[in-house]
Amino acid sequence: MPIDPSPKVVPLGKLAARVPDGASLALGGSFLHRSPNAFVRELIRQQKRHLDIIKQSAGYDLDILCRAGCVAKARAGIVAMEGNFGLAPWYRRAVEQQQIELEEHACMTLTAGLRAAAFGVPFQPVGGVHGSDLARLNKWVSITDPYGSGQDVWVVPAIRPDIAVIHVNEANELGDGRVYGTYNWDRIMSRAAKRVFLVAERMVSVRSFQDRPELTLIPSFMVEGVSVVPHGAWPGSCWPLYEVDYPAVEDYLSPQKALETHLTDAPETKEHVLV
Amino acid sequence: MSSDRLAWSSFSYIVTNLARFVRPDEVTFSGVNSTPPMLACLMAKRAYNFDFVYLNVAGGVQPRPSKIPISSSDPVLAEGSTAIFTNEDFYDLCTRGGMDLCFLGAAQVDGRGCTNVSSIGDWHRPKVRLPGGGGGAVMLPTARRAVTWRTEHSTRTLVETLDFVTAAGGMHGVVTPIAVFVKRHDRLALQSWHPDVTLDTVSERTGFSFDATDAGPTSLPTARELAALRSLDPDGQFEHDAQLQ
Repeated sequence: MPIDPSPKVVPLGKLAARVPDGASLALGGSFLHRSPNAFVRELIRQQKRHLDIIKQSAGYDLDILCRAGCVAKARAGIVAMEGNFGLAPWYRRAVEQQQIELEEHACMTLTAGLRAAAFGVPFQPVGGVHGSDLARLNKWVSITDPYGSGQDVWVVPAIRPDIAVIHVNEANELGDGRVYGTYNWDRIMSRAAKRVFLVAERMVSVRSFQDRPELTLIPSFMVEGVSVVPHGAWPGSCWPLYEVDYPAVEDYLSPQKALETHLTDAPETKEHVLV
Repeated sequence: MSSDRLAWSSFSYIVTNLARFVRPDEVTFSGVNSTPPMLACLMAKRAYNFDFVYLNVAGGVQPRPSKIPISSSDPVLAEGSTAIFTNEDFYDLCTRGGMDLCFLGAAQVDGRGCTNVSSIGDWHRPKVRLPGGGGGAVMLPTARRAVTWRTEHSTRTLVETLDFVTAAGGMHGVVTPIAVFVKRHDRLALQSWHPDVTLDTVSERTGFSFDATDAGPTSLPTARELAALRSLDPDGQFEHDAQLQ
């Protein structure tokens, strides 16, 4: 192996070690698809505590962090395992037993908060919300159009995550990253957060990014560090490389299965990864 | 197999009656955690003599997926798309009035068509923490029409009073294994019921009062509807996974 040419490219363990206890983390992807699951498991191995997890549509990632006792707060629009698996059991238990604080959003109110942070303004209007108890619960404010249309609009305060962690298909040594298929909410997460970490399926040449710069989702100057973890979204999918490993998700959900065993089964412990 | 006869199973009843809400040329959306609407949208493409713009949460725009995924947000649902329309795109489309028909999930539905997807019991001390509404609070009041489904038709799913109002604005339609409701004068009214049950059964199992004027038994699936659904679920796996009686 050549010596790593870029200070931005770091082993997964070192990247995760930069997350302080109590940090707010925006996690990319959606449900079982292209979520930064290898990074999440590394947070568990390093016994991070009091994390504030921000994600519109969370699933396995938030659930396993709750299972391991790493979470103090979650800000989410919907949390489920999806497919045929239903509710996220350890997340559900953590909320029901009041072990974590939940800030319940609609996906787009959370996004409005991220947009406010990305735009550099203190709050952001969002469509809809009228009649929802979520407004009262979160003490959101409705304002009347100052330009006189008479319309009322709900405004959501800025949500500025400490770190956005985005699982990308490809990165280069400079830290640029790109995603194939939908990028879900990852673009706005990366613009809203103070720091951006990437986990990439593979490294490709800077030249290939220069050839198609419009495909880059996250430019390198915004990225602090990138780790290479093939199959890092396991047991979820990473389009078009691999699909959801449903037996592995079922196995994770089995009450008989110890968390430690599941963590040992993960690809980042098996494949050639610089942990 | 019941789906080979001109009759309903609970599964085919839900999927087909969701598909019957799809209208020509409209922008129609299916989201996360929404297997029946995903199947309904794909079925409508195959069963009806009209086209519509099918968008989904995987970024798909008029996709031609090579397989039907278990997860209704699987990226395979964007296969064959000529564009990727991401999450912010389809929400913004909805709030600016460009979403004609939006399928949304619910745990409880009340007589106005508002939904609870947040908690059973007090939100702060929930008996059951539910998944959360996802798009509901923003999409239900802003989509031109929203439609939901429940796999259980009972007084605990169709209720007089919601434990928590996750999303207001009112569903245009609700499909259960035994009934189809449509909004009329800001209330859900019965449009039709499963021909194997009675109107009394629907009333007994519904927690809110409803108008049943002009309602009758649901018309049986057409040969094309049956063929379309069978083509999407040739082995009956989705029907099996739905665990409906």
